[in-house]
Amino acid sequence: MLIKKLFRTLWQYKAQFISMVIMVALGIGVFLGFNVEWYSLEVNTKEIYDATGFADFRIYSDKGFSPEDLEAVKGIGGVDDATRFLSMNVSVKDDTDTLALTVSENMDVSGVLVMEGEPYSAEDPDGFWLSDSYAAANGISVGDPLTLTYQTITLSGTVKGLVKASEYLICLPDSTQMMPDYSTYGFVYISPAMLDNAIPALYRAFIGSLYHQINVKSALDKADFVEAADKALGTTRLILSKDETVSWAEAQGEVNEGKTMASILPVLFLAIAILTMVTTMHRICASEKTQIGTFKALGFKDRRILVHYSAYALIIGLLGTMLGVAIGYGLGWFIMNPDGAMATYIDMPSWTLHAPRFTWYVLIAINAFLTFIGFLSVRKMLRGTAADALRPYSPKRMKHLRFEETKRFKKLGFGTKWNLRDCVRHKARSLMTLFGIIGCMVLLVGGLGMKDTMDAFLDVFYEKAINYTTRVNLDADNMTNGEGKALAASLDGDWAASRAIQIGDRGYTLEIYSITHDKVRFSDVDMNIISLTDDGAYICSRIAREYSLKAGDELTFSPYDSNEHYTVPVAGVLDSMTEGIFMTDAFADRTGITYTADSIFTDAAEIPENPHILNKQSKQSIMDSFDVFMDLMNKMIWLLVIAAVILGIVVLYNLGVMSYTERYREMATLKVVGFKDSKIGRLLISQNLWLTVLGILIGVPAGVGVLQYLLTALASEYELKLVLGLPTWLVSILLTFGVSLIVGLMVARKNRHIDMVAALKTAE
Amino acid sequence: MAIVEFRDVSRVYKNGEHEQRALDHVNLKLEEGKFIVVLGPSGAGKSTLLNMLGGLDSPTEGTIIVNGRDISTLTPNELAEYRAASVGFVFQSYNLIPTLTVIENVALVKEIAPNPLSSHDMLSAVGLEDHIHQFPSELSGGEQQRVSIARALAKNPHILLCDEPTGALDSETGVMVLKLLLSMARDMGKTIIIVTHNQNIAKMADVVIRVKNGKIRSCEEQDNPLSVEEVDW
Repeated sequence: MLIKKLFRTLWQYKAQFISMVIMVALGIGVFLGFNVEWYSLEVNTKEIYDATGFADFRIYSDKGFSPEDLEAVKGIGGVDDATRFLSMNVSVKDDTDTLALTVSENMDVSGVLVMEGEPYSAEDPDGFWLSDSYAAANGISVGDPLTLTYQTITLSGTVKGLVKASEYLICLPDSTQMMPDYSTYGFVYISPAMLDNAIPALYRAFIGSLYHQINVKSALDKADFVEAADKALGTTRLILSKDETVSWAEAQGEVNEGKTMASILPVLFLAIAILTMVTTMHRICASEKTQIGTFKALGFKDRRILVHYSAYALIIGLLGTMLGVAIGYGLGWFIMNPDGAMATYIDMPSWTLHAPRFTWYVLIAINAFLTFIGFLSVRKMLRGTAADALRPYSPKRMKHLRFEETKRFKKLGFGTKWNLRDCVRHKARSLMTLFGIIGCMVLLVGGLGMKDTMDAFLDVFYEKAINYTTRVNLDADNMTNGEGKALAASLDGDWAASRAIQIGDRGYTLEIYSITHDKVRFSDVDMNIISLTDDGAYICSRIAREYSLKAGDELTFSPYDSNEHYTVPVAGVLDSMTEGIFMTDAFADRTGITYTADSIFTDAAEIPENPHILNKQSKQSIMDSFDVFMDLMNKMIWLLVIAAVILGIVVLYNLGVMSYTERYREMATLKVVGFKDSKIGRLLISQNLWLTVLGILIGVPAGVGVLQYLLTALASEYELKLVLGLPTWLVSILLTFGVSLIVGLMVARKNRHIDMVAALKTAE
Repeated sequence: MAIVEFRDVSRVYKNGEHEQRALDHVNLKLEEGKFIVVLGPSGAGKSTLLNMLGGLDSPTEGTIIVNGRDISTLTPNELAEYRAASVGFVFQSYNLIPTLTVIENVALVKEIAPNPLSSHDMLSAVGLEDHIHQFPSELSGGEQQRVSIARALAKNPHILLCDEPTGALDSETGVMVLKLLLSMARDMGKTIIIVTHNQNIAKMADVVIRVKNGKIRSCEEQDNPLSVEEVDW
C-alpha cells in the first residue's frame, strides 16, 4: 500500500521531483562528463604510448649518433631499451605537402601501430608506413606508390602500411601551429635498410650519422639520466624528457585541462543540485507533515515512516544518477570520439570511454547523501508525539528585522515589504534562488569570457603579430647564415634563427629575430604590440613565472650540444605561443651567440625555387589550423551556455513553484481582498527580479573569478589574459535576466488558478 | 431598499459525471444596514451563498444584483474590482498575511480600494491601536480576527461578509468579536452577513436566513433582536 502512495506522491509533487531529478542528472552528468573526458584521454593515450614504446628521453646531437653511442646509452643502469632515431621533414614529390620522415632502428622504442596493411619490416627496401590520418586526408591507400624528396635525394616506394605512432600523437610541423592539418602534414616511417639504400655513401660519409636522436625507455628521473648519459657519451647533450615533447606534454596538458575543468564546474553543479535537494525535500516533508503524523497516529513505527519518505530521496538520486551517467558518457563521447573535436587534435587508435574509479565512489556517496537529506527532513517532521506530528508544519514566526526601523523601510510599499520579509522568512529558498542565478551567471561569464579571451589572444597573435603572408622554412643545417640573410633580403622579408637551449635541465627554444620590415611583431603581457630592443633577451611569461624573472633580472642559459653558458639581462616579458627566449640579431651578435637563419617572413607574391628552402607556410594555413581549435572551443562554450540556461530554468522554476505553494494562501487572501491576478503576478515576479539583480551583481565577479582561476590553471599551456567583451556582459546579463523573467512569468501565470475558497478554508 | 438581490440563483459543481447542486434556484432580497445571519447545517450551501455574494464564485444560473449592479456576469478582473470596492471578508481562520505587521495588513487595502478608510482609525475601532507594529503570529486568535475585521472595514465596503467568524475562538473572545460586528451595523450602517451554524448568534440578527440542501428554507425578520449581553452563550 505504501508503495502505491510512494508513486502517487511522486506524481503529486511531479514539478519538484522532475526538477530535482534534472538537477541531480545535470550535476552528475557534468561531473562524470568532464572526468570521463580527461580519464579516457589518459587511458587511450597510455594505450598507444605503451603499444608503440613512447620514449622517456630523447638525446639530441647535430653530428648524429654512432652504433657505439647507442650501446653506451643502453649500458646505463636503469635504461630498459633504446634506439637510434631519425625524424626530418621531407617533401612529397609533385606536391606542397610535408612529411616527417622517421626511422627507428629498434621499433620497440618509438615504433608504430599498424592499422592497415603489412606489418612493419626493418629490412623492407622500399616500403612506406604512412600516417593513416594523412593517408585518409589525401586519398592514399595501401599499395599506392609514394615518392619523397629531400634536397637532391629521392625516396620512392610503395605504401605498405597505414600506421599511428605515439611520437606523432599530436602531429604539428612547428610550434606556430596549434592544430594538426593532415591534408598538408603527416609522418611516414621507413626501414633503416631503405634509409641506407637511399643515402649515397659519399653523402653519408660527409655528414656522418643520420641518426640525430637516441630515444630511450627508462624509469630514471631526468637529473639522474642526464648525468649518466653525459658520462656515457662523454659530452653534454641536449636531453629532453617525455614531458618536454609535444606528443606527451600537449596530451597531458589536455588531461590536466580536463582535470581542472572537472574540479570547478561540476562542483558548482553538484553543490547547487545538493542544496536544491535539501530545500525541496524539506518543503515536501513539511507539506506532507500531517500525513506523516497520520501514519504515526495509526501506529506505524518511526523507522518505517523514515524508510518510506527517505525512499523519495533515494528514487530521485537513482533516477538522477542513471540519467546523469547517460549525460556524462554522452558529454564524454561528444568530446572524445574518433570523429569528434578531440580527434582533430590527437591521433590515437582507441577512443573508448572510461570513468575514473573515484567517480563511482562519488556517485555512491552522492546517492547516500541525498537519501540522508531525505531522512533528516522526515525525522524533523516526526519529532515529538503523534499529536505533535499531526499538527501542520508552521514556518518560523516573524520577527522584526533591524532594517525595519529605518525611515526608508517604513516608506516602502506593501508589496516590497511583503517580498522582503518573505525572502528573510524563507532564507533557504531565497539563497537557493540566488545560488541558481549566480551559477547561471558564472557559467555564462566563464564560458563566453573564455571565448573572448581566446579571440583576443588569437587576434593579437594572428591578426597583429603575424604581419606576413608566407613563412619560408630554410634548411639551416646545410647553409650559412649569410645565405639565409641574402635570401631574406631578396624576398623583402624579416628573418629568424632558432636554437635549442637549456635553462637548468629544461629545454626551451631561443629565437633570434632580425625585424626590418615589420613582418613579425611581439605582444607584451598586456597584449600591447611592442618592438624588441637590443638591450637584452625577452622571455615568455611561462619562463618568467617558472624562474621568477622580471625585466632587469639576469638569466643564464646554454645552447644544447655546447658547454657555453650565456648570462643575459631580461629586457621584457612577452606573451608568446612558443615557450622560449627571444632577442634581436644585434643583441645575439653582441652576446656572441652563433646562429643560422632558418625562417623568413615575407609578403613576396612569388617565392623562387631555391635548394635551401625546405617548405613554405601561408598565414592562412596557420589561421585555418586555429579555426579547428576554435570550433572545439565553441562547442564547449555552447555546452556551457546550454547547461547554464537549463540550470537557471530548473532551479528557478523549482524554487518558484515552491514559493508559489508556500505563498498560495497569502495570494488567495490578496485575491479575496480584491487584488487582480496581474498585480499579484507582478509582486511574485518582482521578488524573482530582485534576487536576479543581486545574483547578477554577485555572479559577475564570481564568473570573472572562476574564469581567472581557469586561466591560471591553464597558464602552463596558454599565456592568456582575461578579456571580457561588452557582448559577453550583455548576453550573460540579459540571458540570466531573461531566464529569470520567463520562469517568473511561468510561475506567476499559475495564480489565475488559485482556488480562493478552498485556500482560505484550510487551517493555518 | 434592497442592497442584495438573488434572482433564481443556482450553483452546480460538476465532478466527472457527478453533479452537486450547492445552491438551487435561490431568490433573496436583503436590506442595507442590517445584521443578517445565515444558518444551516454543514453542506447546506450557506458558504456558497456567501461566496457568490462576495464575488469569489459565480452562479451557474440566475442573477445576483448588489447595489443595483449585476455581478453574476463580471469577468475575473471586474470581480476583483468589485471585491476591492464593495465587500469585506472575515474568515474563520483570519487569513492575515504573516509577513506583514498588523498595520500593514490593514493598510494593504489602500493599494486597491477606491475609498479606503484610515488604517489607524480602523484598528482603533477594533481596539488594537497598541498592537499595530506586531506581526499576526504575536497576537491571540481574537486579536487576529479583529485585525481581519479592521482590514475588511478599511476598504469602506457596503457589505461585510463573515464566514464562521467566531468558529476558531473561545466563547469570550467570540462574544467580543460579535459585539464589534454588531456595532459596525448599528453605528456605521454596514450590512453585515454572517454565515454560521451557531443558533445563538441568530438571536442577535435583524434577519435570519435558514438554508438547507441548497435552498432557502426561511428568511425571517426579527423585530426585537437581542443584544450580545442578552444572549446566553
